[in-house]
Parts: sequence; structure tokens; C-alpha cells
Amino acid sequence: MSQVFHEIEKKIITSLRDNPKQTPESLEKSTQLLPDQIRRGIEWLRLKELAIVTESQSSVISLGKNGLESLQKGLPERRLLELLKTGPKKLSDLQKELGFVFGPSMGLARKNNWVEASSDQISIKNPPSELPGEKTLKLVGNEKISKDKLDDADLSGLLKRPDFIIEDVIKSKEISLSDSAKSMELSDTTGEIDVEAKVPEVFVARTHPLKDTIDEIREIFVTLGFSEIFGNMTQSSFWNFDALFTPQDHPARELQDTFYLDKINAKKIGTSEQIKKVSESHKKNWRYQWDINEAKKMVLRTHTTCVTIKHLAENKPDEARIFSLGRVFRNEKVSYKHLVEFNQIEGVVIGKDASLRNLMGIQREFYKRIGITKIKFWPTFFPYTEPSLQTMVYNEKLGKWIELFGMGIFRPEVTKPLGITKPVLAWGGGIERIAMLKYDLDDVREFYNNNLGWLRSATKCQ
Amino acid sequence: MPVVELSYTRLQKLVGKVSKKQISDSLPFLGLDIESEDKDLVRIEYSPNRPDYSTDFGIALGLQGLLGIKTGTVKLNIKKSNKFPIFVKSGVSKIRPFVAGIVAKNGKIDDKTIKQLMTMQEDLHFGIGRKRKKSSIGIHDLDKISFPLVYTTTNRNHKFIPLNSEQEIPISEILVNTDVGKDYGSLLGQSPHVPIIFDKNQNTVSFPPIINAAITTVTTKTKNLFVEVTGINKDDAEDMLAVVATILQTAGFTLESVKISGMKNSTPKLEQKKISVNSSLINQILGLNLNPTKIISSLKKSRLDAFSKGANIVCTIPAYRFDIFGPMDLVEEVALGYGIQNLEPILSPSQTIGKTNPVSLQLKSLDQTMIGLGYLEALNSSLTSKRVLYDMVNRDSSKIISVLDSKSQEHTILRDSILPGLIENLSRNIHESYPQKMFETGTVFTLEDPISEKINCSGISAHKDANFTEIKSVIQSALKIGFGIQIETKTTTNPTFEEGHCASIIFNNVPIGIIGKINSKIIENYKIRVPVVGFEISLSESILKNQN
Repeated sequence: MSQVFHEIEKKIITSLRDNPKQTPESLEKSTQLLPDQIRRGIEWLRLKELAIVTESQSSVISLGKNGLESLQKGLPERRLLELLKTGPKKLSDLQKELGFVFGPSMGLARKNNWVEASSDQISIKNPPSELPGEKTLKLVGNEKISKDKLDDADLSGLLKRPDFIIEDVIKSKEISLSDSAKSMELSDTTGEIDVEAKVPEVFVARTHPLKDTIDEIREIFVTLGFSEIFGNMTQSSFWNFDALFTPQDHPARELQDTFYLDKINAKKIGTSEQIKKVSESHKKNWRYQWDINEAKKMVLRTHTTCVTIKHLAENKPDEARIFSLGRVFRNEKVSYKHLVEFNQIEGVVIGKDASLRNLMGIQREFYKRIGITKIKFWPTFFPYTEPSLQTMVYNEKLGKWIELFGMGIFRPEVTKPLGITKPVLAWGGGIERIAMLKYDLDDVREFYNNNLGWLRSATKCQ
Repeated sequence: MPVVELSYTRLQKLVGKVSKKQISDSLPFLGLDIESEDKDLVRIEYSPNRPDYSTDFGIALGLQGLLGIKTGTVKLNIKKSNKFPIFVKSGVSKIRPFVAGIVAKNGKIDDKTIKQLMTMQEDLHFGIGRKRKKSSIGIHDLDKISFPLVYTTTNRNHKFIPLNSEQEIPISEILVNTDVGKDYGSLLGQSPHVPIIFDKNQNTVSFPPIINAAITTVTTKTKNLFVEVTGINKDDAEDMLAVVATILQTAGFTLESVKISGMKNSTPKLEQKKISVNSSLINQILGLNLNPTKIISSLKKSRLDAFSKGANIVCTIPAYRFDIFGPMDLVEEVALGYGIQNLEPILSPSQTIGKTNPVSLQLKSLDQTMIGLGYLEALNSSLTSKRVLYDMVNRDSSKIISVLDSKSQEHTILRDSILPGLIENLSRNIHESYPQKMFETGTVFTLEDPISEKINCSGISAHKDANFTEIKSVIQSALKIGFGIQIETKTTTNPTFEEGHCASIIFNNVPIGIIGKINSKIIENYKIRVPVVGFEISLSESILKNQN
């Protein structure tokens, strides 16, 4: 392989050939390059496996406040011995002379048998010429010295004493050349670069993978003739449940499944006509006392269907294809397959062609466009549609059929009280499930973790 | 969704000549999802609107129809009898006013049948019984009871031996010391009197809706059954009884009526009803062109009898099919009998032209602008925690919007700002390489009446040289390129931001957001080791156009 080197690389290699083990700082001096150039050069050579970078840690010793004082005046025990040189002294005199270092110095001197005491007289006994620690003090002085250069035994005593020694850990890099770099030809032709070299990874800014799926699904339904409507995430129970023929004592309406807002009720939930007709439908078909206060309780919408039904009740179109897309909420325990908040798309068709087979056709076309061709339909149950179906799609990886969108025709018990006279086809489902298939994820929480490792690496077109 | 466990071999015996595969292939087309299979056992999820599918007897009826083995309505044959009277006393009127009942004789009960009946009872209690509030069932050994019975009230000191016990226990203790007592005792309210069924000899038969007496326990030796259903609504109690009666008849029992009188109670009739549906409605809704004969044969496969009368199909609905409200339900029954797999999807051309919402379009172009500026899109939940939204970022939490009883600690309040979530995201990525730049657009909620929902955009940049100038340049360019808007910044203070590095974002003299360097204490608490700058602006008020 022919290697082409940058000027920086050449200078570093040349310097390392003269002096095989260097730090970035010594390379700076020898090559006259800037620190940043040295850093980049070393990184390039390392990626090409031409330079070996060994990182090491070393300790550096300097004197602390008490250490510096002892450097100047001598160790406290040295000062004690100096005072005794001229003959035995009284304990109280020594105390006066030495101040608060008297205690520690006396203790040390007596423990080591450097002094002896008789009644209150202290006299010198047998001190060594150099006391432990003095060698280290002298060697370190006012400098910073590598710990390796010091006598461990002599240092250890000082390390135990407060504020004598400061130990800093310093990280250092040592750069050397790999064997191949030692003899490699350094081309003189300038301007050429090594186009075969590995390069560092850069991260693209991008839309969120789940957002890509949402946009793709939105686009598909727009091209199938659907228009997008928006609605609030906070809804009255009236639109989320009552208008959709879900009785007030239905288990889905319990606190353990639905998020109710604390102490917040809707003032106005609908027109008096709508309220009257909906409540009558409940009373007649579900046989219970419908309570308007229950309908006023605010919830985080459990589906986007409340947005479309409200739109239909307000506009009563004869012919329409509309959809609503957004976050919905369920009071679930969060796990690899459940979130408390996820995205749902939900759409309706009103028109003269509106039939169940038609609804199935729209679903089949949608799945085809997101790349799913093996689908079938099974009957199911929803409180607000009749007939009701669910799509099952075959997942090759799991080797089984999994449930995706649900669909059906709004029950007359839903549409009639709201003054909607034409049959309404409705379908909808969660988007995260489709995105999980697309991005091959096993844990739905990944979509909301904002883990840069995943966001920076997930492939955009699957 | 409730789940029922079945055995294929038992089901094969009940259905008639079918293979295991025919059964497993047909179950989904009755609306039954196979949850799991283990050799002969299969666990099936059924819809709460079909309580008759809570036992293998009921599922067998459905399979017989779909597979064409036996079709048409299952008729209840109830022999009229005067031998089993129940008198209802006035005391129950205010607590649990209605009772319905039936006698089922000469059946064979093995362990598996007992298990099926028990799960049926539990599912009925939970579903249409609304946790026994609306109605509840007691199934008893008929031969241990001396008629007539009286449905009345008693005081809480009354003692009897309840099911699964060997000694007499006062009612007040049953309510405190047994699981069923604890779970359902509240249904009886604070009244000193509770409902009770006594037999001729003043023996306790049942303490509805809590527990039966031990003496009437059903075992494999039991031949004859007495079933009572009590409830707060006569029709609901009779609906539940209809399911049990149908299942028991299918299990081989012969039914005899229980004569009920007193306090607006009467003997349940469990009659069939008739509903008409126009054939053209069926064909229009399904997108088919079926002749009346085909419609009738499809309904029969769904175990409903029908005949044609002019343009209408008149259908006979047995009492246990109270999920059928009107003609549209019959359309579904036709579809099921016809076979969903036989409905070919069709795609007819759209009569309408699709349109993306203008707000979606504008948000998408803002996303693209932010990406062009090097920002990665993040997504956080709207439901977050007080810790992330307020405490960690020094924000005032006086206008908090909480949800009730969240099962997740991290999801208890609605966000009124996006930035705190992004800062938290940085803290989870401290091991990833820098610079880290992220943005998010999304809905924020404000406590007003009604709650306001607005769209905000927030961005954040973290790296060793992050500074105010950088982030101001970003929002300035994003709004200029995205919306043709020129913004200014005015000094302000905000506890989330570093003093002297924080400004209001002003557009047309109105503050629309905040920008600055995140307070170093916050960054430190999150263990982020580089400076962080960020902004948040409200898009709804003055920036987005054509909102609906």
C-alpha cells in the first residue's frame, strides 16, 4: 500500500524516528507544530495504525502548607532536638518555645527513643543524623517531583501527616511508532493525501425515526384522499367515551385504565341537543342513570377517535375522508411493549361508496405502501363500531400474525344522536407498533429514550 | 379482554365431527383470539360483549354454526314449574331489589365442567355484572335446598357457614375477613341490613352479592342445580341468567322455571325477540349483493333464525344475545356467518382530495430548518414528572396539571415546557460524544379554563464552547428562514438560566420565548460536564399560520 502523508504526519514521524518515545509536549517542541496540529496528527497516525499511543498515569508530589513550613524551619521534631542540643530542658520551657507542634514532636521523639525524660527534665538521647522525612523534604523543595523519584519509605511518614504532602495524579500520553512506520518511505510529493485511510465518524442531524414513520403514514393517507384534522389531547369524557357509546360504568373508563385530570372538569361539553340525545341513547340501550358530571370529567384522550367524531358532529359532511394523528394516553405500567403515551392515527370515510369491503380495501392499500403484503382480517369488538374488524399482518421475523389497525362502521347508537345520518367507516391504530417492525426494535421505550447512541445510528430508509 | 382456557379434545366432543385444525382455524372468525396453545390446551381471548363465549359450551355453539354442523337459534326449553317459588320481601328494594332464577336438572358435572362454570361466573361478574355491582350469580346444589325460598334482608350479626369454610361466621366478619367480603362488601353500603336468601327451614342459601352458603356447594356428585341472579336492574339480572341457562342447557341439563313474586319481581321469561333488518342495508354496508336466501343462511351460521318478509329479513334473537341492539348488529352477524375471509377488499377511487394540515406542514419545515442547523430531533412524553419538569430546573410548580393514579412515577403531570425534558435527555447521554445538539417541537399544556394546548419548539446545545451567541444565532436563523421572522432578545432573569446569560425572545414587541445559558448548578446536578445553552419559543400564538 502506498502511503501519502500530510506534512504534520511527516514531521511527527521524523521526530519520533530521532527520539522514539515522546509526549505530545515534547513533540510540540521538536516539530514546532501547534498543540492542535500535534493532536490531530497523532490521531490520524493512530487510526492508520502507524502510531502507538500509550496512556499512563503518574503521581506528582509537592509540599503542602506544613511541608513548606518544615522545609523552612525544619521538621517539628528536628526543632525539638535543636533546642535540646545545648543541654536538658524543662518540659514547660520546651512547650513555650515550640507552641502547638510541641505535642506531636515530643510524641515522635519519645517513641523513637531520640529523647529521654527524668522528672520534668528532657534530654537528648540518640537521634540519627538525618530524621525520617528530611531526605524527601529536601528533594522536593519547592518543586513538583514525580513520585517514582522519591524513596517510598521516607515519603510514607510524611504522607500520614496533615498538609505535608500534596499528591497530584497526572495523565500522560506517550507516543511511539509502530514497526511499519519506523521504516516507511515518506513521500516528498506534497498535496497528495491518503484517500484510503480510515476517517473519524461524523453524526448527522436528522428527524426522529418515529417521526419519519409518522410522516410516511400521514403522506400515504393524504395521497389516498384523506385530509388531516387536529384536536386537543385533553378531552371531556363526553367526547372520549359518551359520544362513542361507551357506558359510564364501562371498565375502560376506570382510573386504572384512563388518565383523568386532577380536579379539572369541562364547563361546556357539547350542545344541549347533543347531550340530550347521547344521554338518551345510553339510558335506552345500556339501562342506567346517565350522569352529566361523569361526562364532564376531563381525561387525556385514550384514542384520536374523539377528535374525528367531534368533527363529524360539528360538520356533518355527506362525503369526506378525514384523519387525525397524534398522541393518545393509557394508564399502563410502562414496559418493553407498553407506553403511557403513544401515537395513533385514526380516520373516517363518509360517502356513497362507504362499505366494509371498501374499508378493507383502504387498509390493504395502506399496508402495501408501507411494505406489508401478507395481511388478513379478523372480526373483533369495539364498543362504538359494528361490524368491527382487525387487521392481522404476518411478521416474518417473529414467524406469526400480529394485530395492527382496528376498523369498523360507527354504530347507529353513535352517529344518530349526533345527527350523522350516513354510515361512517372508521379505522385506526398505534404507530409505534409499525415503527417497531420497521426499525426492528424489541423495546418500544427506545422511541422516547432519546438515546443518542441509537438516534445517531438508526438507518433512515428501512 | 377476558380469557378462557379450553381443551381441544373436550371441544371436539362438544362440537361434533371436526378436527383440531378446523377448530383452531375457525376460532378467529368467531372473533376469538388464540392467546397461547400448549398441546391440547388453548387459551382464548374473547370480547366482553359475548359472555356466552366464557365457556367451551358457548364456544362450541358458535363453532357448530360457523362450520355448518348445527345452525339456527338455540332455543331454551324451560319446563314450567310451581315447585321452586321465591318470595321477595320489601327490605331488599333499597339495596338489591331484583332476583331471577332457574333450575337445571339431571346434568353430569365433572371437574372440567365445574371449572368452566366457575370461570364463566367470574367473567360474568366482572364484565356485564360490573364487578357484581349490576348483577351477580349464585350456583347451588338444588337437592340441598328446601323450597320455597325467601329473598329478604337480615342484620349483620346473622351467622351461617359460608362457602369454603367449616364454621358459622357472622356477616360482619365475612365482610372483613374474607377476600370476597373485602372486595365487594362496599356494594352493600352502610345499611345495617344486607340481602339474604333463606330456604323453607330458615337455612341460609346465599348472601348476595358476596358469597353462597357452604351447604349448597356444587361438587362432581351434584346432579341438579339451582341458579339465582340478583341485581339492581331486572333486565340486567335476567340477561345474565339467560347466559347461564343457555350454557347449562348446552351442557346437558333440562331447565325448569323458578316462580318469583313480590316487590315488582316476576318469573323471568328469557324470551326470544325479533328484529328486522332491510336486506339493502346489509348489502350496502358489507359491499355485497346477497339474496335473502344467502342472508338467512349466513344468519343461521351465526346461530340466529331468520325469514324474509318483503325487503326485510326478520331475525329471531335468543335472550342470551343481548349484545344485539338493532339492525346494524345483524349486519355484523351476516358478515360473520358469510365468513370475513370471504369478503374481498376493494379499493374504489377517492372522491375527495387529501390535504395535510397546514400546521403539520409548517412544523415539518421548521424541523427541516433545525436539522439544517445541525440539531437532532428528540421526542419526549407530554406526561412527565415533577422532578424533571420543575424541581431539577428550578421552575415554579404552582400551576401543575396532574393526572390521577398514574401507574408510573415518571408520568404524573402534563408538561408546560419542553426544555426541561431536553436537559434531562443530555444527562442520559453524558457518555456520548459532544457536541450534542437536540431540538423538539410538541404540545405544551397550561392550566387555564379550559386547558390551553399550544405548540412549542425548544433546542439545546451542549459542548465545551457552547455560549449564548451560538444559540441566539440558531433561533434567529431558524425563524428567519422558516417563517421570515426577525426576532430580538431583551435581558431577563430566569431560574433555569445563568444570570447575565439569559434573554426573552421578542417578536413584534411581544415576548414569545426564552433563551440563554442553562444555570451551571442545574448542569452540575445532572452531572453534565460541559456548558449547555438552550431556547424555547411558543409557535402557536404568533408564528404558525392557518391553524384550524
